[in-house]
Amino acid sequence: VTDRAPGVAPPPGVLTGLRVLDLCDEKGALAGKLLAGLGADVILVEPPGGGSMRSLPPFWQGAPAADRSIFFWFYGTGKRGITLDVTRPEGAGLLVRLAAQADVVIESESPGRLDALGCGAAALRAGNPRLVVASITPFGQRGPYRDWRASDTVAQALGGMLYVNGHRDRPPLRSLGLQAYHQAGIFAAIGVVSALLARETTGRGQEIDVSLQAAAAAALEHVAGFWHQAGLIGMRQGTLHWTRYFRVGRCRDGYVMHCTVGDWTALIEWIKADGMGAEVDEPTLEDLKIRQAEADRVFAALDAWSARYTVAELVEGAQLRRIPYAAVRAPEALLDDPHLAQRGFFVSIEHPALGRSIPYPGAPFRLGDAHWRVARPPGVGEHNQEVYRDLLAMSPPAGLT
Amino acid sequence: MRPLDGVRVLDFTWVVAGPVTTRILADLGADVIKVERRGTLDFGDRRGGLSGTLMRGKRSVMFDLNDPRGLELARRLAAASDVVIDNFSARVMTNFGLDYESLVPLRPDIICVRMTGFGLTGPDRDHVSYGPTLQALTGYTLLMAEPDGPPAGFGYSYSDLAGGNLGALAVLAALWHRRRTGRGQLVDLAQLEAVASLLGPVLLARAIDGGVSTPTGNASQEAPGAPHGVYPCAGEDRWIAITIFTDDDWSRFVAALGRPAWTREERFATVASRLRHAGELDQLVGAWTRGQPAEEAMATLQGAGVAAGLVANAEDLCARDPQLAARGHFVDVATPEGRTVRIDGPPFHLSETPARVSGPGPLLGEHTDEVLSSLLGCGEEEIRALREAGVVG
Repeated sequence: VTDRAPGVAPPPGVLTGLRVLDLCDEKGALAGKLLAGLGADVILVEPPGGGSMRSLPPFWQGAPAADRSIFFWFYGTGKRGITLDVTRPEGAGLLVRLAAQADVVIESESPGRLDALGCGAAALRAGNPRLVVASITPFGQRGPYRDWRASDTVAQALGGMLYVNGHRDRPPLRSLGLQAYHQAGIFAAIGVVSALLARETTGRGQEIDVSLQAAAAAALEHVAGFWHQAGLIGMRQGTLHWTRYFRVGRCRDGYVMHCTVGDWTALIEWIKADGMGAEVDEPTLEDLKIRQAEADRVFAALDAWSARYTVAELVEGAQLRRIPYAAVRAPEALLDDPHLAQRGFFVSIEHPALGRSIPYPGAPFRLGDAHWRVARPPGVGEHNQEVYRDLLAMSPPAGLT
Repeated sequence: MRPLDGVRVLDFTWVVAGPVTTRILADLGADVIKVERRGTLDFGDRRGGLSGTLMRGKRSVMFDLNDPRGLELARRLAAASDVVIDNFSARVMTNFGLDYESLVPLRPDIICVRMTGFGLTGPDRDHVSYGPTLQALTGYTLLMAEPDGPPAGFGYSYSDLAGGNLGALAVLAALWHRRRTGRGQLVDLAQLEAVASLLGPVLLARAIDGGVSTPTGNASQEAPGAPHGVYPCAGEDRWIAITIFTDDDWSRFVAALGRPAWTREERFATVASRLRHAGELDQLVGAWTRGQPAEEAMATLQGAGVAAGLVANAEDLCARDPQLAARGHFVDVATPEGRTVRIDGPPFHLSETPARVSGPGPLLGEHTDEVLSSLLGCGEEEIRALREAGVVG
């Protein structure tokens, strides 16, 4: 997919032919990455010298340097890169002209900031009524918290994502990965494609307002619903899932995720065949609701039994019986997972500056009729010449790039 | 108008991940028809709350797919739909003859979205999973923990929301492709891959430099900085998240606290030194937060331009948060029975063609008759006979 010969066109993605200007920092960076994967020509617009993501860890071989940020590489894949100082009036004016040649602009500046610079959504759309402008901000474009600040963790906190993660007697825990930012990026991409579909009918673009807090709240499961229907407050309870059908347990050589909502009869037969499980061999526990209520003693019995097995033995035996057990493992285990290898989840991208190829985690889904487009992340201003020439018939503007 | 006006989605999904996808499509204006079975699993009141939020704005038909007549009705409905979607394990739709290869002859531009746990190919394609299974396999469970602490992970099935929300993007992309090319397609969404794709730079770092991932509690995963974390507040189980990245952030934070003596100590003078002494800093910040309500600490800090937010529980989120209320995030929806139920709405606002909650969740089989008569042309007698035979409900 990646190491194709120079001059050979990539297989078209579904959004091929659409141009996106991506002004986002880390808060909205996933949106452009997703649209690029779907085939759009995503042009990352960074301030001269490069954007903030290039200074974020982790760094290649641990050494902080702007051209070594693995953080930037992850979010920059598939994008072209130009530089433009939009804080100067001439730069803001050029952004308006670039946007006249684009279908979509995505940005994550504080509400009102681009307006103050003369290149907010109104100015961009005035020059291009078909333009779709998506804004990703901590709390949205209006409301009492409009001008409040947030990190990913703060957005998770106010979005309800944090409170239910962690052990009961310990502080709440933020997610692995920047999941408030990621959800906002997904919803921005959803909004963009929705707006493009609407444009086919209306002939006009529109504005999309995505809030990190609301996006986090829209990535919860039981929390709001149980409050709405019963006034219940979901609590954190360690690894015990809110349904009480899943909990981490121990095998001889590591952790396993127990599951009591698969084929319970098969599970009990297996445990009994091992000469154990008398304490949970009761007809009443065939009822899901009773297993839920009696989760503590059910999992205690499962722990006593699973400790005889290795994780691999237990998971294999469970899956053969169609009981959804899984190993509790580190992310890097995915790199050696034969299933993902056969599916080609990791896609190798060549980094000429490093003299090597790097396996990137790939597409979130596979479209049968179009490839997921991947390409090396851009260097600072790497595509200035071609973008300014092709879009504005000019050289990169001196002093602004 | 809404972006998906005129789009029909035949929805075989259940539990959470699939319904999350189709609720977004319903918000965007699609006619989503849930095909359900008798005794289907739900989470209480189907109109509102958790089930209602998952099923908002959809129609429900009840077919017995194990009866050839029920299956035939489903196939005819599929032929009258733009999108057919399921989140069973891989072989179920194939066994029903409702997979892409079987439906293409009926409708050449059909879009089939298969939201399996592990995908349609690969050695584990027949493995069974729920959200917690996939979170365990991808590292979320192990690494959401305090340093040297036992695993905690998500207390819920984040994987279902990750796969569900990405599934909506997949459907929209496929609809765009069809509008441009006239072609349908098969979408293979492995929820394992969807949630793995959201791990972010941590997985890429391991791919590049090897090494072993270890839990980092509530430390920053973006710009390095301290204090960064979750701190106790007055009251039971009340907490505030605070993020300080830069020296400017620190100056505003110190000012908001009234410049206590410890903030002037040399060990907290720079980003690097604050990170080196993050543990001690956390203790001092916690001593400040502990004495006050989370709401007050948040207002004080945000008033000074510091990123801070109380750790919202369900009541904070749904009943007290003025920002989500101002955005109209939770909506009150009238039911046909004359009740009002509360439902979560979409978190993105389109200025011209807004997504919105189309209605409450449907009762099981509520729309069987109207769908059979309006879409399949079944007469009253025919429907009555099907119902008496237990083929529909």
